[in-house]
Amino acid sequence: MKTCLIIDDSRMIRRIAGRIIKDLGFDTDEAATSQDALEKCQIEMPDVILVDWNMPVMDGYDFLKALRSQKNGDTPTVLFCTSERDVSRIMDALSAGADEYIMKPFDSDIIESKFHLAGLI
Amino acid sequence: MHHGLTLAPSYYEALKRLTLELAGVKLGTDHAFLVETRLATLAQREGFSDLNTMIKELFNTGQTRLAIRVVSSLVERDTHFYRDQKSFKLLKSHVLPHLHRIHKGGKIRILSFGCMSGQEAYGIAMTVDRMKDQLKGLQIDIVGVDYPSQALERAQAGRYTHFEVQRGLPIRDLIEYFDRDKEDWIIKPSIRKKVTFKEAHLLSNLNELEDFHVILFRGNLTHYTGSAQVRVLRGLSTRVKAFGYLILGTGETLEHINYGFNTVARAPGLYRKREDPPEEIIEDPTIKKPTDKKTFEQTKRRKRKMIGK
Repeated sequence: MKTCLIIDDSRMIRRIAGRIIKDLGFDTDEAATSQDALEKCQIEMPDVILVDWNMPVMDGYDFLKALRSQKNGDTPTVLFCTSERDVSRIMDALSAGADEYIMKPFDSDIIESKFHLAGLI
Repeated sequence: MHHGLTLAPSYYEALKRLTLELAGVKLGTDHAFLVETRLATLAQREGFSDLNTMIKELFNTGQTRLAIRVVSSLVERDTHFYRDQKSFKLLKSHVLPHLHRIHKGGKIRILSFGCMSGQEAYGIAMTVDRMKDQLKGLQIDIVGVDYPSQALERAQAGRYTHFEVQRGLPIRDLIEYFDRDKEDWIIKPSIRKKVTFKEAHLLSNLNELEDFHVILFRGNLTHYTGSAQVRVLRGLSTRVKAFGYLILGTGETLEHINYGFNTVARAPGLYRKREDPPEEIIEDPTIKKPTDKKTFEQTKRRKRKMIGK
């Protein structure tokens, strides 16, 4: 079973996204901070990462740059899941290596559609 | 009926009949809640105090405009960008390159039939734009038609919610082809100008429409009754140019009648119009002629028997 790491400082978002992604047939893991997520990725690289933009200490954008410079860091499919909706932010995320971009609020149809677009299902 | 529904059962039955007559769509008893919620919204938009007042007005005065608004609101379905990827793949890999080879330097027309809120028509326009180098020299006009409805008005405006642009639309298409306007996203003028939307009664005479090189009619067929399917497909077959294409949705086929189309090998759902329209079959019991291979074979066998005698 493919694995998905959900990185968000909101427990509620982690729980809701986790439930939807489990229903899509993925094993899920959670991280409340980017640092925690990077450590988890060093131990075992997930197949998919869903990452928020705005988080304390290290934001999602810096996390993605750090991830992509890690060994095997180019393998996970990364989807941003954020309330940032500016086109410039979306372009930044894509140029940093994001595969898709989800704007909050989201529902199960959106997550399913984005996973489909990213070739995950 | 569900608890809490306000519409009298006799009105619900009358609405079912009206929807069947006007749109060829049969509403089930399980659609009662959907009927209530959709029509309550429509009543508010049309300025009625409540749903029952609107329905009374509809059946007392027989207003055609209101009848069409009511029915189109009932048959409206949820859609999303690039719904049914298979059809878009056929368009990219087969239909558009083929039409480019034939009409290079010319103009072709594509129809999104039953276009609802316009995602399919704009999806075609974005697909064409992505293929502009490959389709160089080919001018493509896209037309979307549907019943007059709020969905069609939204298609014309090219304005979509935050939720709609996240269903089926890749993020790269969103930032390339849409402008953000507060909470909504609006299709860019460069794509908007490639698409025209028109009101049409999908079951009526389609002669008012021009001819098209491609017609997409996807995900709608199964909602129609058998006779309505025949009516709409027969109408569409007259609007496809010779050697033009009809694209149906996944699982939809021209099962019993071919309407002058041939299937395209290894492309389920894709049909190509023959050069000549099918001959009108004139039923005349006094004329006997072999109509198919079986009859011809039977005749040959009969002849062989006679020679053998």
